[in-house]
Amino acid sequence: MVYEALDFYDVDSQLTEEEVMVRDMVRDWVEEEVLPKIEDACAEGVFPDEWRVALGEMGVLGAPLEGYGCPGLSYTAYGVICRELERGDSGLRSFASVQGSLAMYPIWDFGSEEQKEKYLPKMASGELIGCFGLTEPDYGSNPGDMVTRAEDKGDHYLLNGAKMWITNGTISDLAVVWAKLDGVIRGFIVETGDEGYSAPEMKGKYSLRASVTSELVFQDCKIPKDRILPGVKGLRGPFSCLNNARFGISWGALGAAQACYNSAKEYALSRTQFDQPIAAYQLIQNKLAWMLREITKGQLLALELGRKKDSGTWIPEHISLAKMNNVDIALEIARMARDMHGANGILDEYCIMRHMANLESVKTYEGTHDIHNLILGRHITGIQSFTRSL
Amino acid sequence: MDITIIAETNGNQLHAVTRQLVGAASSLGASPTILCPSGSGADEAAGIAGVGKVLSVNGDCFSTFDGGAWAAALDAAAGDGVIMGAATAQGRDVVSRIAARRSIPVVQDVVALSGGIKMTHPIYSGKAMQDVTVAGSCAITLRANTFPAAGDGGSAESATVQQSGDVKIAVQEAIAKASERLDVSDADVIISGGRGMGGPENFDKLYSLAEGLGAAVGASRAAVDAWDGIPHTMQVGQTGKTVNPTLYIAVGISGAIQHLAGMRTSKYIVAINKDPEAPIFKVADYGIVSTWEEALPVLASEIGKLQ
Amino acid sequence: MVEIAVLLKQVPDTNAKIAVVSGRVDESAVTSWVTSPYDEYALEAALQHVEAAGGSITAITLGPARADKVLKDAAALGVTKLVRIWQDGWEDLDSNQVQSALADAVKASGAEMVYCGKQSADRNQGSTGPGIAELLGAACVVEVSEFDAAGSSYLRPAASGSEKVTVSAPAVITFTKTDSDLRRPNVRGIMMAKKAQIDVVASDVCGSQVTFNGHSSPAEKPPGKTYQGSDSVPEVVGLLRDEAKVL
Repeated sequence: MVYEALDFYDVDSQLTEEEVMVRDMVRDWVEEEVLPKIEDACAEGVFPDEWRVALGEMGVLGAPLEGYGCPGLSYTAYGVICRELERGDSGLRSFASVQGSLAMYPIWDFGSEEQKEKYLPKMASGELIGCFGLTEPDYGSNPGDMVTRAEDKGDHYLLNGAKMWITNGTISDLAVVWAKLDGVIRGFIVETGDEGYSAPEMKGKYSLRASVTSELVFQDCKIPKDRILPGVKGLRGPFSCLNNARFGISWGALGAAQACYNSAKEYALSRTQFDQPIAAYQLIQNKLAWMLREITKGQLLALELGRKKDSGTWIPEHISLAKMNNVDIALEIARMARDMHGANGILDEYCIMRHMANLESVKTYEGTHDIHNLILGRHITGIQSFTRSL
Repeated sequence: MDITIIAETNGNQLHAVTRQLVGAASSLGASPTILCPSGSGADEAAGIAGVGKVLSVNGDCFSTFDGGAWAAALDAAAGDGVIMGAATAQGRDVVSRIAARRSIPVVQDVVALSGGIKMTHPIYSGKAMQDVTVAGSCAITLRANTFPAAGDGGSAESATVQQSGDVKIAVQEAIAKASERLDVSDADVIISGGRGMGGPENFDKLYSLAEGLGAAVGASRAAVDAWDGIPHTMQVGQTGKTVNPTLYIAVGISGAIQHLAGMRTSKYIVAINKDPEAPIFKVADYGIVSTWEEALPVLASEIGKLQ
Repeated sequence: MVEIAVLLKQVPDTNAKIAVVSGRVDESAVTSWVTSPYDEYALEAALQHVEAAGGSITAITLGPARADKVLKDAAALGVTKLVRIWQDGWEDLDSNQVQSALADAVKASGAEMVYCGKQSADRNQGSTGPGIAELLGAACVVEVSEFDAAGSSYLRPAASGSEKVTVSAPAVITFTKTDSDLRRPNVRGIMMAKKAQIDVVASDVCGSQVTFNGHSSPAEKPPGKTYQGSDSVPEVVGLLRDEAKVL
């Protein structure tokens, strides 16, 4: 059966022909290859390697990057890819977000020519997997006070510290790690096999189960001098990456919301109680109408953001607004959909609780909901309220 | 209006559909001529009520099926007017080519006919019907089991003619009908078993019924979860496959909402369940309240009679 | 080396609801147009054939401007020769008109093999393949379900079940479902399709010999009925044969 995505204001009619073809390519793949296997992948807690291969073959990794074997698509196309992937599963979309926006992007923007030639083409094809080491056990919303540090030892750098909550870590070939060199945050490329580096998997997750989440541990980890990213110093480095990832997530969350909405609508029309489908009851219709309202608003927000990204007229706060809003409403839609499905909503027969659990992570990562709120608050008032002392 | 029928055969016998073609031709007031490639079925054809003439067309080309060669031979043997065949793979091929040779229109898979000649055929896989009229010569194929068959009592004159065509297709290897099991996602007819079947070994009854119908065998989630012998690939329903066959037969399936979601859009639903309150009866077009042990043997024998 | 013409027809998405309005299927209500599924199997077979034997493919469609999409989708898979046949005002073409227009385009392409679906998902007629073969003086193998990638043999239905046949060019092969689903495009292909050049050609065809009377919706199903006991099975089977007409 062909998937019909809710598009009440026909927002997709504003996509270019190329963006529509990319959308359909990913949508068909998710329908045919991902959905039949996602519940098993989730139950087992694995990210199937075939998906890495397929994403590479489709050519969607590092979507908006130009050159070095990268796709060179518009940001809007990148958003569409994220939406179609996340309609399948947020864990699947997280793989692509990390690979493209958090691992390929910093090399592309801040790396040396040699680094770009060495890593980017193979990351675009999916042959090499990357991850992004910023968050630490004690430093999440406040990355600036990170303790992972690098020391210049003359002919190599020595890294010490640990990163946590790193998507793709255990399966990665390389990690873009942010650490302080003489007190200044710099980016370093750490490769699997480097002495003193390990990436154990974090188990016991109830959310993003079809995704690999890891710790990155550096114990006198030696890396060659040519692994430092020369083009950026300070938090601007990691934040540039996060802006791109957050952009993708603002579209991605809509995919999850659409999937939950579709399930809720179909369930409401099929489930009868007191001799009529529950879709005939006002409280149910109210919920469906709210979902339609929020998805439509979210789509318009995402489309406009895509245009701003593509025309270079964006600021980070634009992205904060869209990420925060679209993930927030997606989580609410998932919760509401679970409620509407009644007891059936807890079964893996339906996608609802999987999306619901995933979106809890999506609301927290890439800038928590509350942090984005404060980013906007600072933008409005000019006064930061993250902390008393800054 | 002269009508020439291309006989459809099964080996050396006349295929039952040929009588339906005669019936249809007679309903238009015609006394059709029947062309029998290689003379197969010619004797029986001559005995069908309403037939005007039987012409055996003998030629070397008829030992292999090549639509182009057969069309050349039959076109030479057939008179003007309407060419009528059965809407089978071979019938459609030959009739299209005769039409192209004569630059007359061809209309396939006709399900209703009346004077004029007005014709109706399904489109969009039966979601709509198309109605056309062809006043002059045309070539048409009729859908099998749609028109009433003509009976016996005819005594048409018979003749033989030599015609052949160039065969350009060579058969390398004949392959027997493999009893490979059809997948539920492809099948036009599906028979599904649920927990009511009692055990995976009882699915054998469904498999043999399926063979008779050219159907695939599916299962409800309850059956898949309960029995190792029923793999997930057979599951119809939410996390299994969503199917859209012309005919769905649910045996021992209660009709839980997740299963219904997977087969609700089937064109026709038949349900066999011993529980008259089973929800499946609410969506079934034809519901049979009975144990499968009693119903399936009768179903198998009735279907056998249809072949 | 082989030159193959692949005939692709644009049809409404096969899951679309088909509504009849004022005696005609309402095309304006169709939200999604796709390549007819059996034609996709034909295209995949052609792509494999050319990969194995060398040569090229010309994709041909007969349809209005929206049918450019089926050609662009083929372009995303590497097909570079793209032809659309259309004349303003064309409506309800009969089988001769369609076949002669397509046969002309096939001749112009220089192809010696023609691959197409066994029937389109909209009209379901199945006349085009064999009819074009006749106009081209070519053999036609219908309802092929398996093929050898180098084009040396095709599997078609037979009384025994199926049979493997060989045929020499010029030939038309019509495809039913095969084990080779049409391959997925990738981004590189999609970017190439942006630059695709489509040749739009007109065609003179003779007049139609068929009067189109209209479309109608099929008869409504009678409401479902429940029967008691296994004794009712013969009656139900009779109804399935005569009323539902599914047996």
